[in-house]
Amino acid sequence: MRTKLVCSRLGTLAACLLLIAATSPASAQIKLGFQAPLTGPAATDGKSAKIAADMAVEKINAAGVLGQKIELITYDDQAKTEEAVFTANKLAGQDGVKFAVSGSYSASGRAAAPIFQQAGVPFISAYGVHPDITRAGNDVFRGVHLGPPQGRAAAKFIGDNLGLKRVSIVTMDNDYGQATLEGFKSAVDQFGIKVLGEYSYSLKDRQFGSIVASVKRDNPDVVYVTGYFFTAAPLVTQLRSAGIQAPIVGSQAFDAQKLIEIAGSAVEGVYIVGGLNRDRDMPELKEYLAQFQKRAGYAGENVGATVYSAVRLMADAITRAGTPDPAKARDALAATKNFPHLAGELVSFNPLREINMPMNVNVVKDGQFRHYAWIDDLKLLAPPTE
Amino acid sequence: MAYYIDLAFNGLVFGCMYALMAVGLTLVYGLLRILHIAHAAVYAFGAYITVIVANATGSIAIGILAAIAACTLLGMAIYRLLYEPLLDYPPYVAMIASIGLLVVMEDGFRIAFGEQGLTFARNPYPTQLHDIAGLTVNTVQIAIIALSTICLVLLALFTTRTRIGIGWRATVSDPRIATSFGVDAIKVRYLNFAIGSALAALGGALIALLNNFVEPTMGFVVSYKALAIIVLGGLGSLQGTLIASLALGLTESYGTIFVGRFLDRDAIAFLFLIAVLLIRPQGLAGARTA
Amino acid sequence: MSAYAYSVLAITGINVMLAVSLNMITGFCGQFSLGHAAFYGAGAYAAAFFAAAGSSVPVSLLAGVMVAGALGVIVGFASLRLRHDFLAVTTIGISFLFVGFVRKQPWLGAEMGISRIPSSGLGTQGNALLILACALATIAFSIYVNRSWMGFGFRAVGDDEDTARSIGISVSNYKLVAFTLGTAIAGLAGGLYAYFTQFIVPDSFGFLVSVMLMAMVVIGGTGSTLGVVAAAIILTLLPEIFRFINEYRLLIFGGLLILVMRFAPEGLAGLGRVAVGRAWTR
Repeated sequence: MRTKLVCSRLGTLAACLLLIAATSPASAQIKLGFQAPLTGPAATDGKSAKIAADMAVEKINAAGVLGQKIELITYDDQAKTEEAVFTANKLAGQDGVKFAVSGSYSASGRAAAPIFQQAGVPFISAYGVHPDITRAGNDVFRGVHLGPPQGRAAAKFIGDNLGLKRVSIVTMDNDYGQATLEGFKSAVDQFGIKVLGEYSYSLKDRQFGSIVASVKRDNPDVVYVTGYFFTAAPLVTQLRSAGIQAPIVGSQAFDAQKLIEIAGSAVEGVYIVGGLNRDRDMPELKEYLAQFQKRAGYAGENVGATVYSAVRLMADAITRAGTPDPAKARDALAATKNFPHLAGELVSFNPLREINMPMNVNVVKDGQFRHYAWIDDLKLLAPPTE
Repeated sequence: MAYYIDLAFNGLVFGCMYALMAVGLTLVYGLLRILHIAHAAVYAFGAYITVIVANATGSIAIGILAAIAACTLLGMAIYRLLYEPLLDYPPYVAMIASIGLLVVMEDGFRIAFGEQGLTFARNPYPTQLHDIAGLTVNTVQIAIIALSTICLVLLALFTTRTRIGIGWRATVSDPRIATSFGVDAIKVRYLNFAIGSALAALGGALIALLNNFVEPTMGFVVSYKALAIIVLGGLGSLQGTLIASLALGLTESYGTIFVGRFLDRDAIAFLFLIAVLLIRPQGLAGARTA
Repeated sequence: MSAYAYSVLAITGINVMLAVSLNMITGFCGQFSLGHAAFYGAGAYAAAFFAAAGSSVPVSLLAGVMVAGALGVIVGFASLRLRHDFLAVTTIGISFLFVGFVRKQPWLGAEMGISRIPSSGLGTQGNALLILACALATIAFSIYVNRSWMGFGFRAVGDDEDTARSIGISVSNYKLVAFTLGTAIAGLAGGLYAYFTQFIVPDSFGFLVSVMLMAMVVIGGTGSTLGVVAAAIILTLLPEIFRFINEYRLLIFGGLLILVMRFAPEGLAGLGRVAVGRAWTR
């Protein structure tokens, strides 16, 4: 009988403590959830993303956001759908984040977006390009150009800037490659381009003999390639080794120092549509590049820059909203105008929360990525609105 | 027409690479009935050692020799530490352990040398072009064809003309009778792994030179293909393996162009395998024993 | 229970179904299949396709079961002509063929997969509980089969085909049945998965998944339903509980495979038997 009394007293005490803990004012931290592929096949980009996110948070916290600091809660989603579901649920549920950024690939962003949407957590996909990500709802934003605008930009660059008309296309067979290709093909008529041949390869391939032979047979004026550095480097090397002298235009994912390291002189003169403009006269960019190089041990590229800017943008939106209330911050995010994104001026978000932003074209010169041109026809680059 | 010759040449280069890898697998299977999937890790290890030693010493040749030496030891160690204790169990036990080792080693490469992989500090060979009968080929491609042909011819001579080689073949055919003739079966096993691993090391070194790039997961893709090849070749048969390697190389080269719209490259290889097995369940050259 | 906990429960349940169904093919009947993920994927894609076209939940799930089962029968026929190692490699091929085929088909979503699969209407909690129910049913079914005459037939075929044939067991039929049952269940798991995540991509059904499933069977103890269930649960939960070891996840997984094969090839079930044996004699 006595034990029962003691137990019930203890129970009440425990309940009171819990109640107090639950209703106490939130600590002076704004929780920002962050997903990145820290392990697995995308670990390279995951590492860049993590470093960039940390740098952004430090920069933000130096000044604070509305008197509070950002707390970054990071989980490894291995760029896999199931893992992204787990980590998004953890962030939105157990960790109770109010804002989230995805520093991961498309599939994981696509899986996580609906979960954050349902929890009312504003979510920015830093560089994931799956079209359905932003379709998950009003809380989901994207900080990078979709595949199709990138393809269209490439068509303009080839047709207008380079003035070349006969193209052979070599594309990676993942969703990003396919989407970019669709964009390119939709604009070929507009720029008077003729596609001589279209070839695709798997991300696991490193030997492209058959494709190279086919391109050689096409004898194009220019070769358009989509790929990541680990496929682009061998492919470009092999194209050149086969005696193909035509200019090569690559897609955004070429933009990594490793490309130059592996392919060496073969990659000189290659153009990259959507590459990071490292030559921009922007103090924050210079600071970012210097610090990133020091921390990561390799040069900064697109992945890191987009993640850094996504985190900065989120904090900026909260500041503009004047309150850490997610709904108000979301509105501020949607109303963003001319945000200083590291990769260019983020002019605005369209109704589907996709970016309106000019695209940079790099060229590889003397083993460095140098700015070559801006594609700033925002109408051409306009992302879909639904 | 030059196009098709181009494709054929590419198929030949692929085929030689596959042969270097697959021979090791077939040797192990023929002797021990184990699918030595970790062989792919030996191959990748060879590639890594080539790059690391070449960058450290400035000489690619030294890198290649170091890789061959290292992998020979590694192969023998794998036999001694992993397979020997498991010989009494059903073969799938050794196979699963082998898969485990492959996963461990590949992740080990990632942790030790980084996810982004390694490149040679100085490697002029892939861009050294030669014009041969209208084809543009590079030095490494020629090296692959030449070296693999030399090695395989040497292997054939070894197994047919030398005492050790003949003893080895006898052991593969029937271990007990061979032992009763004085052949040391254990030494034969070590020799088996040594030769197979050395060839894999050479393959790894050549691929590293061709791509100017080694990465942690480079073993995976080759391992599946090599498995398909030795099954196609009729598990345990050297000639079958060689025929299958070349056949697969050519099929892939032409296949990716003509069927690439519907199937990706690995799928083509396996489709070829399944198609052949449906017609000839014992593989191209037939199984050595039932 | 939080949404996170339900999602873990759901994936665990699916892995249990997959491992137990693979155990029926490989453990009971001795047919080594490294292509189980292909049937899982076939079920997921079939169900997703039907669901996206507007079919109801039971119809879509049934579609998943039937497509996977049909594929299983075809592979089963292949197994009749091939022995052990050939079969193992052929099933590896099936795994690659499935992914390689699906990722090139625009009508199956190609690389982007099938997204916006309509909700089953059950909600996260409901889905998880449905999966749990199916997993339990699978376990019960597996135990039942093991104890039945069919299980005896399977084991006979698995142990020694020629002897089994000589005592009048129709080896071909048993192999086909094993494949059909095992793959049909995998197809059901696939359909449930499609409804749970509402978004499927080809890469979720690749060879490494097949390897992981085989690992669950082998670590659990080939042939032992409960051992396999335990292994499936442990291998699914471990990476979640020990998230901090994520950097070394593959290292540990591979290491586990090596250690288990080297020191306890009978798997957890074998260890269990030894432990029980010792307890009995105490």
